[in-house]
Amino acid sequence: MKTAHVIHLPVKLMLLVFLLVISVLLSLTIGSVDVSITQVFQVLSGQVSEPLIDTIIWQIRLPRLITAIFVGAGLSLAGAVLQNVSRNPLADPYLFGLMAGAGLGATLVSIVFPDHVISLALAAFLGALLAVALVFMACVGSGFRKMEMTLLAGVAVSFMLSAISSFILYFAEPFAANRVIFWLMGSLSRTDWTSVGLIAPAVFVLLLVALAVRRQLDAILLSDESARSLGVNVQRLRLVLLLLTALVTACIVAQCGGIAFVGLMVPHMVRYFMGVTAVPLLLGSALFGAIFMLWVDNLARSVLSMQEVPLGVITSVIGSIFFLLMLRRQLR
Amino acid sequence: MSAAIYHLEQLSLSYAASASRPLHAALAEISLTLAANDFVGIIGPNGAGKSSLLHLLSGQVMPTVGHVLLAGRPLHRFSATQLAQRIASVAQINVPALGLTCWQVAAMGLLPHKKWFEHETDRDRQQIAMALEHVGLFDKQQATTDTLSGGELQRLYIARALVQQASILLLDEPTNHLDVQYQHQVLQLLQQLGKTVICSMHDLNLAARYCNKLLLLHEGRVQAFGTPEQVLQPDLLQQVFALPCEVTVHPTFHWRQVTFLAKDMFYTKAKQAVL
Repeated sequence: MKTAHVIHLPVKLMLLVFLLVISVLLSLTIGSVDVSITQVFQVLSGQVSEPLIDTIIWQIRLPRLITAIFVGAGLSLAGAVLQNVSRNPLADPYLFGLMAGAGLGATLVSIVFPDHVISLALAAFLGALLAVALVFMACVGSGFRKMEMTLLAGVAVSFMLSAISSFILYFAEPFAANRVIFWLMGSLSRTDWTSVGLIAPAVFVLLLVALAVRRQLDAILLSDESARSLGVNVQRLRLVLLLLTALVTACIVAQCGGIAFVGLMVPHMVRYFMGVTAVPLLLGSALFGAIFMLWVDNLARSVLSMQEVPLGVITSVIGSIFFLLMLRRQLR
Repeated sequence: MSAAIYHLEQLSLSYAASASRPLHAALAEISLTLAANDFVGIIGPNGAGKSSLLHLLSGQVMPTVGHVLLAGRPLHRFSATQLAQRIASVAQINVPALGLTCWQVAAMGLLPHKKWFEHETDRDRQQIAMALEHVGLFDKQQATTDTLSGGELQRLYIARALVQQASILLLDEPTNHLDVQYQHQVLQLLQQLGKTVICSMHDLNLAARYCNKLLLLHEGRVQAFGTPEQVLQPDLLQQVFALPCEVTVHPTFHWRQVTFLAKDMFYTKAKQAVL
């Protein structure tokens, strides 16, 4: 006797893996230099026909695509975990004011300290951690029993740090301000193999830990009391998962800037197609998030001929339309 | 006589004072022994301490004074997992998340018995199926919980408790919000489980009919503990519930039946009797 998701889950996951592989191969052909699918296969299998194509694929496109995969997977996974532990469908990886914190870090290093004592990515990462620390300090007394407190603290910290950034940007020299604003909108254009090395381990750790506590994540869906009666230490589970999701998001924001709506939207779509329990939700979110981010990046690279569209703009457009459609469906 | 499963001695529970609320004693000087396989109904007016006592017995709240002994061992010496292997709690309000199926909710009972990456075995699946069968929800295993009636939902949580393999079931007002049919259905099911069942109840007649022991609480103290015949005494009930009452015996089944009377009805009846 099996549940519906046990029967169909492997098939759905295989389909997503297949779509991911196809997406990667096709994405390798998209860009300012024409590369055919045959050339892609040749380069990937080590048959170097043209050194230029080899360099484009190995040094430019592949690290960017793999970063996109881990960014999409990481944000979606973080969103799925946060929505489950908070039982709040609107929980989002940027819930701790991470984006505002990273923005403040980037603003400070670009405008106030333009000599770049530290890199922009490191400053953004430290800014994101500052935001998390402020939210956690505000909530530590409640022991994370009331998740709405954490969400509200995140909103407050977000506004506070954004206000400081806005104040600095208001007096900044326009070119520097534009640079920070463009960075805040999200882009994969500065990513390389180092970005993969920074983001991928954090995403893998979050996935492994979330899969290990999958039964606890399911139990918490009913109520805190119900989960406790099944032996779940709800506060400890929340604290560990909040910290891990914050770390993953901070790594992503530091490398790629702000990419809104992915962590909010993808888990909702996965719940609809694959189920609400942790295993299909986590694996489905990671895979679907990766595919989604690949195609968003392809769109960002190809929609305008001379420049890239910020990723955050595309994800926000898709995300807002998705939510309006979802709202309309629920109202019917 | 069955072995003692719970032993409480001179136990008190107070909730911490806050700016808006002074120190509040929820339970005071509770001493009692509950036997294994008893079906105990905790009765008493609102605020008597019924839910607080259930929280203490489940180990979710620690007493301010005294200890709760479970099979002779203090409750605080058990880990959360060990407690979940022995005690299953069904809370009063359980609103399940949208999209969860009956199977998935029942399967949550496996949690205290599974390690981090341990998979469900065929035996586990068989156990879940048997639990759903036991509560009459086998045919609805793929139904989502939002399609269930209140009675079915309560039975589903009992199925989860069965999968949990706990020998003790604690339920906070399990018949609340259920119509008459489902009230009897759920209590019959609990009676047939052969486990130690401890539940708080508001309906004294249902408690008298299904429980073999009743615990009457008033203002956080034990007023009476024993069989329904011993506990359901008109004077005692009148004192606790502040309403005149009559206790009769069902002519065929010999259950105790409690009828509370409004004060004016009671005096009219007494006057007629005198005349």
